[in-house]
Amino acid sequence: MSHSNTATLAADRITLAHRRFTVAENLSLTLPSARVTAIVGPNGCGKSTLLNGLARIHAPAAGAVLLDGKDIHRLPSKDVARKLALLPQENTAPEGLTVGDLVRFGRQPHQGWMKQWSQEDQQAFDRAVQAADVKGLVNRALDTLSGGQRQRAWIAMAVAQQTPLLLLDEPTSALDLGHQIEVFELIRNLREQGKTIAMVVHDLASACRYADHMVAMKDGKIIEEGSPAEIVSPELVQELYGVSCELLHDPATGSPLLVNVRRNNRQPA
Amino acid sequence: MHRHALTMPDSRTLVANAVLLLLVAAAVIISLSMGTVQIAPAEVIRALIGTTEDPTAAFVINELRLSRVVAGMLSGAALALAGCLMQTLARNRLATPGIIGIDNAATAFAVASVVGTGIAIAPSAMALVGAATATALAFGLAGANGTRGYRFIVAGLGIGAIAGAVTQVMLSQVAIDDANAAYPWTVGSLNARSGASVQVLALGLAASCLVTVAIVRALNTLQFSDPVAIALGTRLRRTRVVGLGLSVLLTGLAVSVCGPVGLVALLAPELARTVCRPGRIPLTAAALAGAAFMVIADLLGRTLFSPLEIPVGIITAIVGSPYLLWILLRPSTRSLT
Repeated sequence: MSHSNTATLAADRITLAHRRFTVAENLSLTLPSARVTAIVGPNGCGKSTLLNGLARIHAPAAGAVLLDGKDIHRLPSKDVARKLALLPQENTAPEGLTVGDLVRFGRQPHQGWMKQWSQEDQQAFDRAVQAADVKGLVNRALDTLSGGQRQRAWIAMAVAQQTPLLLLDEPTSALDLGHQIEVFELIRNLREQGKTIAMVVHDLASACRYADHMVAMKDGKIIEEGSPAEIVSPELVQELYGVSCELLHDPATGSPLLVNVRRNNRQPA
Repeated sequence: MHRHALTMPDSRTLVANAVLLLLVAAAVIISLSMGTVQIAPAEVIRALIGTTEDPTAAFVINELRLSRVVAGMLSGAALALAGCLMQTLARNRLATPGIIGIDNAATAFAVASVVGTGIAIAPSAMALVGAATATALAFGLAGANGTRGYRFIVAGLGIGAIAGAVTQVMLSQVAIDDANAAYPWTVGSLNARSGASVQVLALGLAASCLVTVAIVRALNTLQFSDPVAIALGTRLRRTRVVGLGLSVLLTGLAVSVCGPVGLVALLAPELARTVCRPGRIPLTAAALAGAAFMVIADLLGRTLFSPLEIPVGIITAIVGSPYLLWILLRPSTRSLT
């Protein structure tokens, strides 16, 4: 990524609320540069809210999200969009929109009144469809694609933004195992190219495999933070999800593997 | 082929706009040629560019008929553009100013000034005030949802119904001559237009087109969800305020010229979406389709039962309703929202 200059994203003691209901209070977090950060935790723990806070979709009620040290809500929206891309959890597109049309939207923050589609835009487009492996699909309508192909197309749009930061909200939630692996490996490749990535992941096992850094949340608080190998333990799993398990190490990658997962009050046979 | 598809602007939309422009031109020329005195289309063109040697034709075209056709063209374009903008902002194809009561409110205010309720402001200004009032009320009642979702539409429906009732009450309370003078306002007609309000509409439409061009990129991102639009750098609040303001302005000015002509704001964008390539809001095509629709409908109204004239609003309703039903009933995956 020739244009991937770096950028830092951090939450500084932010409080996030939906109307009057406080979801998370006093959260601080700095995304490690050129690493994949996974935000994990049980349903309703506030992990998506935190991601949306970081992506400036929700303004914090207190504290600030800092992009390169500056309050993200005070920066011009277009400038932010050149540094930070987001893939929300649920995406709808206009009917009949092609993959190529969608990916071109990713160049919008780089265009302007006088600056129409440029050579630079075309190069970014080509790289994005290449990286997300949707080159053969550019003329296909999104609504004719499989779930995995569609998700790759959306990621291609975010990649075309050529931002140093990429946030993804449950990028694999509706995908089967093969497509999940595809998307996670794509995310890993993007990190190899120097992007700083944060993603909300539902599945702790996948988070262990594909994340460099893990943020474990419960009841709107960050209870543990560190590499999966450091922080994932039977005690953490117990605290997050209320289940017992044992831990092995993946012989291939060394990442933690959960086995014998069970509800507490039931002994294994 | 592959590379070609990536260049912009895309050819399908360009062709669609060119065809619609020709349609508008054809409708204008035929409309100018038809009437109690028939004038050949070639003569119409000569009269328009000032090379005719027939003084009667020049007079009939330029003095009698042109202003009405121009009024129809401008108001049709304005209504369609207003409809397309509001549909985009509300992300709902039913959310046009007519459906959510802005037309009705503009009419009620205009009728109030015509029937002499002691409010002595020009009907144009009153229609604009009415449009703005209805929008503000719909916004207020829809609460934090803003232009999103059904609350805005349902609130607008209620306001429209109240405004319609107020109009009827005013018409039933005044002398028959006053009620007659106000009648064109209630059905939508190009017969009663005032020259001044057409000029105001022309200025308003030109200014609105310029502002629309400035926010067109942002409008295009509203085809996605709010988070995606924000992530692409769109300033949502500003886009909504500007877009809604334009929609209200265009509706108010159009209603002040032609009254509440129904369905143009709904059908013209619909047609535009069908002929243009998906992925961009077809604002140009919608405005052109609206202009053509209005001119053709007025032409039919003037000529079908000549010398009896049917108000243009009745024609658009008769022609438009079956089309609306067809859109609803045709076997398609297109959803209404």
